[in-house]
Amino acid sequence: MWKENCKQSFGHKAIQKDADILFGRHARREKSICFANPQTLIHHFLEESAQSFPSKIALIHEELRATYAQLNSQANQLAHFLLNQGITRGDRVVLILENCPEYVISYYAILKAGAVAVPLSTDLKPEGLRPLLEELEPRIIISSFRFERLLKAIELSTSGIQSLILKSPKLQWTPEACSIFQLEDLIGSESLSNPNMPIEETALASIIYTSGSTGKPRGVMLSHKNIVANTHSICQYLHLTDSDIQMVVLPFFYVMGKSLLNTHFAVGATVVINNKFAYPASVIKQMVEERVTSFSGVPSTYAYLLHRSPFASYRDKLDSLRYCSQAGGHMSRQIKEQLRNVLPRHTQVYIMYGATEASARLTYLDPESFAHKMDSIGKPIPGVSLKVVHNKGQGIPPGKTGEIVAMGPNIMQGYWKDPRATAKVLDENGYHTGDLGYCDNDGYFFVVGRKDHLLKVGGHRINPQEIEDILMKSELLMEVIVSGVPDALLGYKLVALVAPKTNTCSENVILNHCAEMLPRYKVPGHVKFIKALPKTASGKIDRTLCLELLNKNGI
Amino acid sequence: MSKLKDRIRAFIVENFLFGKDKNFRDDTSLIDEGIIDSTGVLELVGFLEQEFSIVVEDEELLPENLNSINNVVAYVERKL
Repeated sequence: MWKENCKQSFGHKAIQKDADILFGRHARREKSICFANPQTLIHHFLEESAQSFPSKIALIHEELRATYAQLNSQANQLAHFLLNQGITRGDRVVLILENCPEYVISYYAILKAGAVAVPLSTDLKPEGLRPLLEELEPRIIISSFRFERLLKAIELSTSGIQSLILKSPKLQWTPEACSIFQLEDLIGSESLSNPNMPIEETALASIIYTSGSTGKPRGVMLSHKNIVANTHSICQYLHLTDSDIQMVVLPFFYVMGKSLLNTHFAVGATVVINNKFAYPASVIKQMVEERVTSFSGVPSTYAYLLHRSPFASYRDKLDSLRYCSQAGGHMSRQIKEQLRNVLPRHTQVYIMYGATEASARLTYLDPESFAHKMDSIGKPIPGVSLKVVHNKGQGIPPGKTGEIVAMGPNIMQGYWKDPRATAKVLDENGYHTGDLGYCDNDGYFFVVGRKDHLLKVGGHRINPQEIEDILMKSELLMEVIVSGVPDALLGYKLVALVAPKTNTCSENVILNHCAEMLPRYKVPGHVKFIKALPKTASGKIDRTLCLELLNKNGI
Repeated sequence: MSKLKDRIRAFIVENFLFGKDKNFRDDTSLIDEGIIDSTGVLELVGFLEQEFSIVVEDEELLPENLNSINNVVAYVERKL
């Protein structure tokens, strides 16, 4: 239908030419996405779909079904409110919200107003949120009743926050610290036009936090152009159309979740939000009921689906499922093979690779190559080039391992207020991913490990040092290292090897301390006590030996 | 019944709240309140299977069976 609309409105040949220019030699004439009047700003995805398919269901969440026209109208109301509050270009607006229609409305409203959307993890504790607010200096926070206790623990009066907008607040708020608004009051049925603020495509659109090698989370600065270019590339290689229906179980604050939202809104497709993946049977049931065409997850998502869900028994009911995509770290060959065997024959598997610094996506493995290149992350997506370099930045021939470096319109502008960290990863060669890998003679890339110690635990990138710092803050320990031991479900499981000051120190006390200060996924699954940590000759903690100790003891 | 409820609550408090009972209610959604995540659900299932000698089928991994103390108690009672 959309294809037809595009033909009528803009002329098919002209559209195809635009797309060809955009994607260079990668453009395929048979692809179904078209970019008439090319979308240059992120919120154009919503605005153009609202114009092309006003009454189409854009979003399904529990009992709610929202059309593109409804979402766009509500996003316009909130955008005008933000503008009336004095929000100007480049102002940061923080989002702390679970996946819900209000998240989508707020995200696009912030962008429409010309501000910068900063979605933060819904797992943050006050300890983690405070420094982020200090460096972001946001003017407005949009959140919900789930996070009221978290927000109460922050000294909003001294943080410079002008307004707090809350979805369904349950606690009493006094407007001493800042103005308090109820989100529902701001997004009624009033119909307002698109604000159409003058915004350059290179303007900062979003800051997304990711763990850095120093232990401090880093704010990845992405422009409209970064995200729009990446969105278009993804739409192209996944052959997305308005008939797609995507099941989303990944959070929108995570770059992959954000990408699922933008890509499907760019083509006028439908997004189904399900926040109950902990109960996979309910997700699979909804996939059948809603006739979803795609499902996306990180490695642990698939480990969970395969090991603790009735996925296999639903095989014959998933006749609409066009593909499953996986990103967010290395998924074992065993899980890939099991997934292939469990899925209906017509369902394709897309293995993908990327980084927050790349707006989401860098490579994908064409499903046609899945069987014979299963361990590969595939080839660069349209518009992106990848190469393998050694330490001095020179290219390395096929088969030799080095650091994977990426270049393309999707590569970030840098890290927020951190030029030193930016300079370490961005140079004339492009973005240094920190991943070690090689390219084979057929042009397929393979990742073999991390350049530093960062761990992927259940799809989250975790820096052990951050957790070590928190553990040492307890003042119970002499020294500590946190590392990961392989885990079938999570990829890695966090374990802490600690040398306590006294014999009375218990695992529960330590974990309770962590739980007070860290999101749950950063709390170690196990603590092992030792009198002293092994050291290298120079007196530094020998991480390799520590890990051997942890592995040897069968944790 | 209350004994069964006490055992389930004790397991959740010990394993997910690290021994610190935060006075969550029997009908509190364990997921929405961030008390457990998907790994936690599996740990809870492992506990129920061992403690009450029941088998939790994959099809039964549903919020209506496991997402609050009340739901877990009702589910276990049906299985016993």
